[in-house]
Amino acid sequence: MMKQFNIVGKDIPRTDAPTKARGAALYTDDMKLPGMLHGRLLRSPLPHALIKNIDTSRAASLPGVKCVITAEDTPKIKYGNWRLFPDTQDEYPLAVDKVRFIGDELAAVAAVDKDTAEEALELIKVEYEELPGVFDVDSASRPGAPIIHYYCPNNISVNRKIKYGDVDKGFSESDYVREDTFTVHAVSHAYLEPCSALAQVDLDGRITLWTSTQVPYIVQCLLASTLGMRENDIRVIKPFIGGGFGGKMELRTWEVCAALMAKKTGRPVKFTLSREEEFLAGRRRHPMKIHSKVGFKKDGTLVAKDLKIQLDGGAYNAMGPTATFLCGNFGAMLYRYPNYRFHGEHIYTNKPPASAMRGFGAPQSLYATEIQMNIAAEELGIDPVDLRLKNAQVSGDKIPDVATISSCGFVDSIKAVADMSGWKEKRKSLKPGQGIGIGCYSFISGGVFNWFNTQYPFSAAEIRAFSDGTVHLLTMASDIGQGSDTVLKQILAEELGLAMEDIRITSADTSMTPQADLGSWGSRVTLMAGNAVLDAARKIKEHLFGAVSARFNLNVIHELECKNGRVQSKVKADYGTSFGEAVAMVQKANRGEPLVARGSYTPRDKGLVTPAFGFGAQVAEVEVDKETGLVNVKQMWTAHDCGTVINPRSVEGQLAGSIQMGLGYALSEQLVMEGGNTLNTNFADYKMPMATDMPPSKVVHVDTYEPEGPMGAKEAGEGLASPTAPAISDAVYHATGYRCKDLPITPEKILQALEKEE
Amino acid sequence: MKHHINFTVNGDKYSLAVDPWRTLNEVLREDLNLTGTKLGCGTGDCGACTVMVDGRTVSSCLTLAVSVDGKTIRTVEGMAPSGEELHPIQEAFVQTGAIQCGFCTAGMEMAALHLLSHNASPTQAEIRAGLSGHLCRCTGYNQIVDAISVAAEKMSESRPEKEER
Amino acid sequence: MRLPKFEYFAPKSLEAALSLLSEQKEGAHVLAGGTDIIVKMNHGRLKPKALIALEAIMGLKGIRFHAQGGLTIGATARLAEVAFHSDIVTHYPAVAHAAQVMANVGVRNMGTVAGNLCNAAPSADTAPPLIAMNAEVTLASLKGERRLPLDQFFEGPGLTAMEPGEIMTSISVPFPPSQSGGSYKRISARCGVDIAAVGVGVMVILDGKTCREARIVLGAVAPVPMRAAKAESLMQGQEWTQKLIHEVADQAAQEAKPISDVRASAEYRRKMVAVLTRRALEEAHERASKQ
Repeated sequence: MMKQFNIVGKDIPRTDAPTKARGAALYTDDMKLPGMLHGRLLRSPLPHALIKNIDTSRAASLPGVKCVITAEDTPKIKYGNWRLFPDTQDEYPLAVDKVRFIGDELAAVAAVDKDTAEEALELIKVEYEELPGVFDVDSASRPGAPIIHYYCPNNISVNRKIKYGDVDKGFSESDYVREDTFTVHAVSHAYLEPCSALAQVDLDGRITLWTSTQVPYIVQCLLASTLGMRENDIRVIKPFIGGGFGGKMELRTWEVCAALMAKKTGRPVKFTLSREEEFLAGRRRHPMKIHSKVGFKKDGTLVAKDLKIQLDGGAYNAMGPTATFLCGNFGAMLYRYPNYRFHGEHIYTNKPPASAMRGFGAPQSLYATEIQMNIAAEELGIDPVDLRLKNAQVSGDKIPDVATISSCGFVDSIKAVADMSGWKEKRKSLKPGQGIGIGCYSFISGGVFNWFNTQYPFSAAEIRAFSDGTVHLLTMASDIGQGSDTVLKQILAEELGLAMEDIRITSADTSMTPQADLGSWGSRVTLMAGNAVLDAARKIKEHLFGAVSARFNLNVIHELECKNGRVQSKVKADYGTSFGEAVAMVQKANRGEPLVARGSYTPRDKGLVTPAFGFGAQVAEVEVDKETGLVNVKQMWTAHDCGTVINPRSVEGQLAGSIQMGLGYALSEQLVMEGGNTLNTNFADYKMPMATDMPPSKVVHVDTYEPEGPMGAKEAGEGLASPTAPAISDAVYHATGYRCKDLPITPEKILQALEKEE
Repeated sequence: MKHHINFTVNGDKYSLAVDPWRTLNEVLREDLNLTGTKLGCGTGDCGACTVMVDGRTVSSCLTLAVSVDGKTIRTVEGMAPSGEELHPIQEAFVQTGAIQCGFCTAGMEMAALHLLSHNASPTQAEIRAGLSGHLCRCTGYNQIVDAISVAAEKMSESRPEKEER
Repeated sequence: MRLPKFEYFAPKSLEAALSLLSEQKEGAHVLAGGTDIIVKMNHGRLKPKALIALEAIMGLKGIRFHAQGGLTIGATARLAEVAFHSDIVTHYPAVAHAAQVMANVGVRNMGTVAGNLCNAAPSADTAPPLIAMNAEVTLASLKGERRLPLDQFFEGPGLTAMEPGEIMTSISVPFPPSQSGGSYKRISARCGVDIAAVGVGVMVILDGKTCREARIVLGAVAPVPMRAAKAESLMQGQEWTQKLIHEVADQAAQEAKPISDVRASAEYRRKMVAVLTRRALEEAHERASKQ
């Protein structure tokens, strides 16, 4: 299946990079419109309280204030991404009757300038009746716990189960059974661009919204329903986005408020969050309590796994239902579990809602899997690499009723990473204080699940071909910094035999680009939008091939190709013409009708999860200062399988970024909370790794070809977010004997463990 | 009371009246429409708002606009030599893949400019130290470090660039 | 996250600044680099009626050094200047190191030593090495000038011995005695943009193999940067041995009065005082022995 490519697989610089390099790229907050008002949100200072009264009169009468709204000014329609299941939609744009976390939005003001908006916020008086709060899954799920949502008296909003084989029988047949409980913590997406939205209303009352989002189509649909409008009355434009990582994939309050206040005032309204708001109230990765029981045969063969996960969801569902399913799905990945049982509970607490974050349930679930694998390896007396190789999933493996694994380079990844890191040697010969550890991952290339209940294709593309030899690609796929515009252009240029310069792209403007695209999340864009682009490109080619065949009177058995800017016979290149002329021929044959084709992709018959899985393995080497407990990560090695690598430099960028995030997850990042309040709401105390903290990194791309992927490609953006934490954790264990079952690994925990040992 | 200030940005002279509580970041972005300089945190911890004031990198979010009266400022929009699209640092950022979402880029490039003006051929460790206070969530910094190495080489090949235009 | 409204003054002379300060009374704050004060104002923790910027006052700029008179750091000398000033790097390496590792490049290009001291955070990086080196601060008011040893300057988090109407004009550090060496060691969870979870500044004066005098100053483990007086006295006149250093380090840890916060627990901080004190003493000893 391997193919030779001209543009795919090359280090093509990102096409948006020059614009960004000279500071000319416009992000939402960079935009201003004549008469624009500045919006600010009033947030709850209490984690759980009834709203007895909100008095906005003083704020409204402050000169310069043009609009003040509370829930009373909204249609009070709930929203949430799982619109296929309306029960899960639990969020209002502004709190109705009750606030459920510190930072819950209550009211919004729009004023002529930021100072006035800020002053107005202070003039709003809210009377609360404080309610007891719950801040962890144990106290929230206890009988008699305070009820956070009246519809959900036990605070467990989602129950998900996966089951195949006979787990109990499996354990009874096991020679070795291991049970552990892991807890993992909340971390922030910490995208550099704080959320921002700008809304404008046209003469007919229709709304245009520029917003920092990963999901323009979802925002369009949910904003329409929340405001009681029709979908097409909302136009969502995604400007340049300063990163998302899952934190910008829902309709959010400020988007609703900007739109509603623009409508009320007739003036453009912009909201931009502060970093403090982002940390205080922003979405985050789910903390989880993971109870895992695994059974092995003496020789290391896995027999059964029983996984119970409680997700600390915070005050609203957000993307929690998906995370609840996915952490169970990922629990069954990597290794062959003939008998598997999962039960996931999504539990409300009075904290900022957790939601999707890079890896979407995998970093948590796989942390438990991988650490437990290492514990088992030690107790079974088998090298961790060998134990993995023995049980690794391979192409063709089935997860009953869920998925079939198509391409799979997992075994090769494990072997390659062990080889390049000198695993066997280092595992034996490192000095005390030094350690080496392994972590592996698998991830989806986009989801099959249609919880959003879209009536459109999952991804779509439109291609307009011109007689000057250029094409225009229109797609709702959202480049949020990961580089999807460049990758889609590469795929299109490859398929049509054009150069990158021949392609113009318009992406993510819901009024211009074809319906629809579910957005950038779940590592879906390359595979899904890429397939939609290919589908459209192939339709264009059919037209061109027809015209060229006719013009050159080619035998019907002749194969044609688009190559080097020409449309030509494969065997006789001079039977052909330039791409532009071929387009002109098609147009002439159709009375001048422009040559346009649409393509789409919706996975069908691909199980419940994803059309294709990425795989990989990573090794970390660390040195631990046994006096201070500080961990120095000295080197990372990665071998992974993302199918065809479309843009190597972009894939390496995804890897390095994932290592940074994984390093933070393992060692330094955490949202420190007390009674529902986030204590570290700035980058000085939210310790995201810096350039000096980053270890050197080596990578091997394992060569595979994914039949379902465009030109053989699959995901590379999120899977890599998982292996770093377990690899580092295992290396710390190797170096010190401290086995971390409650992330993050802090110097204090290491020292305590070392003292216990002594 | 508004203060009247005169200052130079990227070679252009500006004269305006500002409230004392407005930061240089706001004035650059809102009054001068130089939106290439970003605001990532407002506490001087992320580096996205970094600009040069009299040849020194500073956090524009912590700098009061009134305090730059009489000073010379350089922002990302003024990095490229006149007539050229990109400064060698910017070109290197493009070529090495140092730019993903681009939100930290202006600050990173300013840090690189400051570093290379003091140290024409920095080591990897010196580059990393020179990026302290600059956060990036996308790239893991490695390609940014590469870009600065590449730029340093390119710049030392051509004739030494003057710090301020 | 919005700055409150205030008046702004940028006087060109110290006299003018002092007059303004006394006219404006409590509502006025002095502005040096702004890296602490603007952040506090942004978070709503400080709402001054007026800011008096010192930047335009020529006499407060710069760093002066004489082998006899020692070192004088002007109130508006920036941390970046201090960090790489060749005389400071040579004669006061602990002070240079503190300025080098503080916060990040941008903050060091803006912030000042005087500001770091006047902000009076328990974790102020420049305080421990400066106190260890017997630094004094000069405080000016309309009534005149006074000099105060730095170890009497701090009174609590954010609180100092400065009287209303006073401005810190400079920091003076005597020339280090012969056979002396200083060191500053800190710990934080990340290499840059960081606030020290614990910092230890020391200076030792040797007499051959004997420790003539030692000063040990602990940062971020008490409401103010504190001298570990008992630990210091354990060393005085004693022969320098590894055993002694361990005892001294443990004593320093006992003297610390740490609290738990988002950066570290009290228990961890106390342990780190011992580790860092020992490491700082070892480095200081090495430096002193080379003299």
